[in-house]
Amino acid sequence: MSATEYDVLIIGSGASGGMAAHTLTQKGVKCLMLDAGPLVDFNRVRQTKQAYELPYHGFGEPGRLPHVVQATEFNANQWVDEKEVPYTHDPNMPFNWVRVRMIGGKSLFWARMSFRLSDYEFKAKDHDGFGENWPIDHAELAPYYSRVEPIFRVTGRSDGLKQLPDGVFIEDTAPWSESMNRFIGQAKKRDIPVTKMRSSLGKGQFASSFNLLLPEAMETGNLTIVPNAVVRDLTVDKNTGLINGANFVDRHSKREMHAKARVVVVGASCLESTRILLNSKVANSSGALGHYLHDQTYITQGVVAIDKAPGGGGGRSGGYIPRFVNLKQGKEEDFIRGYALDFNLAGTPDPKYIPAYGAELDKALADYRGKSASVTIMGEVLARYENFVSIDKNVVDAYGIPVLHFQCKYGDNEAKMLKHAMNKFEELCHTSDFETLAKHDQPWPPGYSIHELGTCRMGDDPKKSVLNKWNQSHDIKNLFVVDGSSFVTGGYQNPTMTILALSMRASEHLMDQMKARAI
Amino acid sequence: MKRRGFFKSLAAIPAGSALLAQQPAAPLNPTQGIQPPARAADELPKLDTTVAEGAADAMPRFFTPAQFSALEKVSDVIMPAAGSNSPGALAAGAPEFLDFMIGDSGADRQHIYRAGLDGLNAQAKRQFNKAFSDLDATQAGTLLAPLRQPWTYEEPADPVARFLRAAKIDIRTATLNSREYGAGRRFAGTGQYWYPLD
Repeated sequence: MSATEYDVLIIGSGASGGMAAHTLTQKGVKCLMLDAGPLVDFNRVRQTKQAYELPYHGFGEPGRLPHVVQATEFNANQWVDEKEVPYTHDPNMPFNWVRVRMIGGKSLFWARMSFRLSDYEFKAKDHDGFGENWPIDHAELAPYYSRVEPIFRVTGRSDGLKQLPDGVFIEDTAPWSESMNRFIGQAKKRDIPVTKMRSSLGKGQFASSFNLLLPEAMETGNLTIVPNAVVRDLTVDKNTGLINGANFVDRHSKREMHAKARVVVVGASCLESTRILLNSKVANSSGALGHYLHDQTYITQGVVAIDKAPGGGGGRSGGYIPRFVNLKQGKEEDFIRGYALDFNLAGTPDPKYIPAYGAELDKALADYRGKSASVTIMGEVLARYENFVSIDKNVVDAYGIPVLHFQCKYGDNEAKMLKHAMNKFEELCHTSDFETLAKHDQPWPPGYSIHELGTCRMGDDPKKSVLNKWNQSHDIKNLFVVDGSSFVTGGYQNPTMTILALSMRASEHLMDQMKARAI
Repeated sequence: MKRRGFFKSLAAIPAGSALLAQQPAAPLNPTQGIQPPARAADELPKLDTTVAEGAADAMPRFFTPAQFSALEKVSDVIMPAAGSNSPGALAAGAPEFLDFMIGDSGADRQHIYRAGLDGLNAQAKRQFNKAFSDLDATQAGTLLAPLRQPWTYEEPADPVARFLRAAKIDIRTATLNSREYGAGRRFAGTGQYWYPLD
């Protein structure tokens, strides 16, 4: 029996694949979605337990997920097993590739921070001369952001900042705490903006493709989802040179299957999408496929400081400082681009930072409760050709699919930026009556942010980019890649809103092309 | 089943529930004097079990006796009991648990512990002519001086300082996550556990 040929095959069910399905099915396009992971029954798979009931009492099984700092013994089973789907890197160039395989993908677990990119990112080359511009600007993507934000119910405060465009927000009007007002006063003196966190409220437990996008797509009757379908590669029609489907492996039986479609939309996550294209040996006439890998540098607890002033409470104690450096000429500092500071002034410090033990430590923890400032520093990483992934021909995963090899490291620009960020936050704390307990400027290894971007970038020039400005392959017109791999630069902002907006825009363009019979 | 668990399961049956009311009165078991909980015929029983540490002793296997004695001492100093409701590291079985966990860990972590505990014993011998476990509180405090130094991102080069830094957090976590510490604390060490995906 010959299987159905679908209009569009969508690979991946996370933010990007989910948005493609949401957009296309509502216009009457018959879609088949493959995802490498299962459809999870969250009521069955999760249970409240005590740490002592777990074999390692909450410490985690030693060596189980060496690259997933976010993993705990409680949630270890939600991440991709590194033995099942390994990857390789130079021992001196670690990369923390953090993956989720289930219907909904990483959108089930993201931190929900919801930002737009600005023209400081879309037109970064115009501003400071480094790298490439995106082939689009904020004005072009703005209508799509404005439709995505209400679906995800983004809360935030409109501030009119050019470097962090406002969105369609559920306005956050909560007052600041006393210590925040003190801190903001010091920030204002230095022309540093402080805004409310911008965050997706979602619905119920999730702000995910799983509950916000896929149900509506299913209701159209135009979406067929096959879970546990691990895509091996795309197949090409020898006569037309177009993609005509994908080979995949059933996760349980390891049975080899093939799905047919007129168009393929890849949204398998940045590096899985690129891995599929590399293993398919397609869409790489530019030689850019796999290159320009970037994410964001992350330092957690970059500065830990204690509020020495009495009081401090009374309102919102956490804030967000968007990029405020290099906004004029682009090169005001000894580095280019910029960083964001996600901070809170009313936490309790981790005991490791307190130089005490026993009863003295307990007393300090009690005294410092609700009085500790801490910051996560998120810095832009320059998209460089030298940072790339390729296929490791010597290693395959549990499905016999060749794995990725990583060659990626941060450079001098990132190091200088992070030092600046640490010192600036400490200065703001110090002048706001906080005393430093600990500080450092050392980022987690690349990948930690789970914001891997690039490797399949878009651009107007087919010699320098894999995709055109519609997330469509320059080489093969019925192939679209709609996730973070299409980014040219990532800025300092969490990327999910941009991924969603790009996927919606690309899917509508695909619709128009199909209607016009151009595809 | 331990006695406490059995009584807990009895208490879980709502008093005067409709279910009980529908059951014919069962005769008391004359040998035990306790009436078994009434249950609909097709309702599966819920058995209350306990973890191994609730019923048996751990068998230390990784550290030498001298290292283990030093680990017990350092655990007691770093995480002493804080009142009757907050058992310390010894009552929580933290040294026994760490013997198991460090024994299952990679060579780097094992080395940090062994070198640190050996170092503490050597320093105690040199300065006080005693094993670390035999020091009084003041003497032990002298050797724990690195824990009173400000935190730095770089790991200390000195093996004892490096061990103490790791052990301070590990002993604390092992205590707070223990069954003994969690008793009477509703949310202590609680988390949402994920079963393996189908």
